[in-house]
Amino acid sequence: MNTLLTRRLLQLLPMLFFISLVAFLLVKLAPGDPVAAYITPRMAPEDIERIRQSMGLDKPLVTQYVLWLKNVLQGDLGYSLIYHRPVLEMIGERIPATLGLMGASLLMAIVLAIPLGLLAGAFKHRWLDHVLNLFAYIGISVPIFWFGILLITVFAVQLNWFPSMGMRTIGMDDNWLDVLRHGVLPCIALTFYNLSSYVRYIRSNTISQLSADYVQTQLAYGATRSSILFHHVLKNVLLPVITLFGLSFGELVVGAYVTESVFSWPGMGLLGIQSITSLDYPLIMAIIMLSSMMLILGNLVADLLYRFADPRIRTLR
Amino acid sequence: MRKLLLSAVVVSLALGLAGCDDAKNKETSNAPAAKSDAPKEGGSLIIGITSGDPLAVNPLYASDRTTLTIMQALYAPLYSFNNGKIEWGLAESLTPSADNLSYTLTLKPNLKWQDGQPLTADDVVFTFNKLLDAKQHSFFRSMFTYGGKPVEVSKVDDRTVKFTLPQVSAAFTGTLVQIYPIPQHVFANEGDLEKSTKNDAPVGSGPFKFKEYRAGQYFALTRFDDYWNGKAKLDSVTYRFAKDSNSANLALQNGEINLKMVDPQDVNRLKNTGKFDFVVYPEGRLAYMTFNQNVPVMKSKELRQAIAYAINKDELTQTAFTSLDYAKPATSFLTPDTLYQTDDVEQYKFDQQKAKDLLKASGAPENLKLHLAYVNTNKTQESMALYIQQALKGIGVNVELMPLDSNAMSQRSLDMNNTAWELNLGGYIMGSEPDGYKSLFMSNEAYNYAHYKNPQFDALWDKGAVETDTAKRADIYKQIQQTVANDMTYYPIAYTNATVAVDKRFGGTQEAEPKPVYLFQDLSKIYQK
Repeated sequence: MNTLLTRRLLQLLPMLFFISLVAFLLVKLAPGDPVAAYITPRMAPEDIERIRQSMGLDKPLVTQYVLWLKNVLQGDLGYSLIYHRPVLEMIGERIPATLGLMGASLLMAIVLAIPLGLLAGAFKHRWLDHVLNLFAYIGISVPIFWFGILLITVFAVQLNWFPSMGMRTIGMDDNWLDVLRHGVLPCIALTFYNLSSYVRYIRSNTISQLSADYVQTQLAYGATRSSILFHHVLKNVLLPVITLFGLSFGELVVGAYVTESVFSWPGMGLLGIQSITSLDYPLIMAIIMLSSMMLILGNLVADLLYRFADPRIRTLR
Repeated sequence: MRKLLLSAVVVSLALGLAGCDDAKNKETSNAPAAKSDAPKEGGSLIIGITSGDPLAVNPLYASDRTTLTIMQALYAPLYSFNNGKIEWGLAESLTPSADNLSYTLTLKPNLKWQDGQPLTADDVVFTFNKLLDAKQHSFFRSMFTYGGKPVEVSKVDDRTVKFTLPQVSAAFTGTLVQIYPIPQHVFANEGDLEKSTKNDAPVGSGPFKFKEYRAGQYFALTRFDDYWNGKAKLDSVTYRFAKDSNSANLALQNGEINLKMVDPQDVNRLKNTGKFDFVVYPEGRLAYMTFNQNVPVMKSKELRQAIAYAINKDELTQTAFTSLDYAKPATSFLTPDTLYQTDDVEQYKFDQQKAKDLLKASGAPENLKLHLAYVNTNKTQESMALYIQQALKGIGVNVELMPLDSNAMSQRSLDMNNTAWELNLGGYIMGSEPDGYKSLFMSNEAYNYAHYKNPQFDALWDKGAVETDTAKRADIYKQIQQTVANDMTYYPIAYTNATVAVDKRFGGTQEAEPKPVYLFQDLSKIYQK
């Protein structure tokens, strides 16, 4: 397992290098000029040029990339062109909020999706299945920002149960209960987004498991459907959920970024949007690299969990 | 580019808003104050900001809407303009010499920084030395450099500063208004002011001092008791960041935000809640269309005039801004809050027949096809583009719409050889000093999007910059405005208004003087009822 982990982690390096190269080119080729985001029409051309030089934008593209890579390898993600602050510090401020939101939402989605998917599969074509299917369709079809606004309208504005925005009450010291209260609505929005696809996936797996030979045999031996469902089917259904986790991690990251924008959740998503609109190259690169790493590591964790959960995979290796 | 121009400028906002007392402002609750509406000491105000986090919170670098808004509460200007008249801030006088080559600025006595240190002439001199230092990359450097030579600043005594100009500049007073001094004792040993960690906990001289900044969440300020214009009525002001405008409007309804700039489209919905007063005031902004003369067909004055006559400006404004309450059809390229603005220019009243005749006289080919570029995320511009497309169809000109990403549009606009489109929409806030507009109009300036080149016209701009006689200067800028209108290089569409929704529990918004971009001139005047 350790060798495997080391090998997989080493494979990450060329992948990340390739991503950084493509991302750097794409970012640089994008139309626009970061200098334009903070100069004014009243500046003299020589002053504009001086700023361009101080940002290193006058150097050839290859030199810019090599410099960036060299600094990153030394742990220096550079200075934000727009905020004039170290990128690492800015990312450090934002990443806990994103990871917290994603983690809580993923946990909630898995905990809810397993029983709901199992029930939908077990009661195939019955009213419960129809209700859950409808719910899943709605979840897949409704844009996350629209659902977020709906949650704010009902639970923050009409019922006044939860705050509509931010991560903590202004002026209040860090208090986990306060953060939790602020996190409820964004977490529900993001969970709803992922839950629907999880439920549908588990439902179809349950249906295929229930029609498998081993289930028919158990039934022939007089076992009840519920005991088969919870003792045998559940185990077999859970394995693909790990794969699903790996596959849907990308959607989770994107969903988290959209959710952050709607609920003003101070995570990477909000920072990402701001960095892109102002063409803040060092910040955009840092966010792309970090998001890519999150995606790759998410897949790696899913892969490893899968191997851990299913001994056959290890044997096959 | 739109953002850029806005930022550019904004800083200046010198002339107070002539429109401040226009009828629209009466929308703000003007009823006699009931007993419970009396001003109270204390309370906190939460201002919603949808333009992102502040950049470097330092007056020498502030050019984005968020930073300028926050800075207005944290720092105090030397003076400001209100309805064309100087309103003294940290300074109590500014006296030009007889030859207009030097100015003597006197500070008010007993001024203090928010950390208790005295604010003196040393701070003003330090501020200017820093902004003129090329290594510090402040965009103000160009504004205080004349013919390649910087203005010289020296201390006369603790309260007096002397500015010596290398040449006469009529724009000096209008430019100096943008300067908010920074404290020497805080920044003295900082090598790079732009990246200084001192900007993270700014020390200013405005009505509210820094308390706490949480990235992506809020920027909190608390009352500064020694503010030169008297202690603020509120205990604290917090700027709350919300990227999504829809959810920010809901937070406004929910009471999590007390004051926010809103779009005209949202006013009715908010009005129906009965919870808000609305402050509507001219934003000092012009929405315009440019004719790109890099494209040969647009070099024809007749064609440009034909397009102007083919558009019903009143209808266009009404369509784009939902009501004439939120924008006024524009006449000149100078906004009404700008010095020497005049409506005495060719108005191009809608006349389709005249437009057709001019089109024919221009020699433009039959079924002429033009491209109209605009920012794809800007709903107002999209409405304008659709309207213009329809209007020009009426004279047989086909318009192909070019919705572009703002960065792409900005980059192409700055390309001196741009021929990607014939027409484009934009907007600017350039402040009250007309000299500031020249970078958009003079032949070889980077922001001359129309690529209009006319040496006589350039000469007028140069004359306007140094003419110190007010009447003569007014005449020069009148000629400039008439030239732009006659040659139809820019088509001014509308002077837009800003609309601020304020929770009815707060008052004093008129005393605080509504201002473009940074909302209010002096937040110390706002109170809780």
